[in-house]
Amino acid sequence: MAGFVNFEITWRADVFSGAPQAGSAANFGTVGINFRARKVENDEEWMAALAAISCEMPVA
Amino acid sequence: MIDQTVTHEVLAEPNLDWNQLRQAIQAEYQTVAENPNHGFHFHTGRPLTHILGYDETWLEGIPETSIESFAGTGNPFSLGALKPGDRVVDVGSGAGLDSLIAGKMVGPNGRVVGVDMTPAMLSKARRAGQEAGLDNVEFREGFGETLPVLDAWADVVISNGVLNLMPDKAAALADMARVLKPGGRLHIADILVEKPVPDGAKQNIDLWTG
Repeated sequence: MAGFVNFEITWRADVFSGAPQAGSAANFGTVGINFRARKVENDEEWMAALAAISCEMPVA
Repeated sequence: MIDQTVTHEVLAEPNLDWNQLRQAIQAEYQTVAENPNHGFHFHTGRPLTHILGYDETWLEGIPETSIESFAGTGNPFSLGALKPGDRVVDVGSGAGLDSLIAGKMVGPNGRVVGVDMTPAMLSKARRAGQEAGLDNVEFREGFGETLPVLDAWADVVISNGVLNLMPDKAAALADMARVLKPGGRLHIADILVEKPVPDGAKQNIDLWTG
């Protein structure tokens, strides 16, 4: 388990257009991105992060 | 709890010949190292640094041989400052541009380890580091999924346009976590595919490299 929190994509842009052999990138909508995250300080922080993203599905 | 098996299946490509993929990627980036003006499906060199917003001052003192083979997809230095004294790992360091920029930022009390699997890139990066006089930067041969770096060594892991080339992204991210200190930062530039990629295309090595 990687154990990263505070994941954030901060930037995205077309970085392939105009390249000499630009080809398949455009077909899949490929863009360049910058993202950051932080390794948790300890197991307690990791368990809290997991609990925050878990949810319960209501049964009809 | 997160199902680790499902997560790993999403991030890895089990039907791909990983050795064949690595050989294809090494061949592609050997060409980027030895013939950077060949013309690729991505931009390269100093023009690419302008596209990605690299500050001109970052490039001062860095040999042109390193800059000309730069092939990143973003700007990891835009994600937060590297502080003097920081220890940095650059995953997929190529011809060394980002490692050398990091070496300037962290100063003589900091350390940078660049890791790459392509011998031609490592040779070029090592020569550039010597030429730049950056004794705090070291280049090591290795894979992103098994970084040749001690546990909890780094304050920051950077990478630029490399994670997308790794067939086992879960293993790569887990090893980045391993080498980071608790609370350490991940500053990554890479690519995002905004349209669904058919399974057949995921197993097409030509599409991985170009």
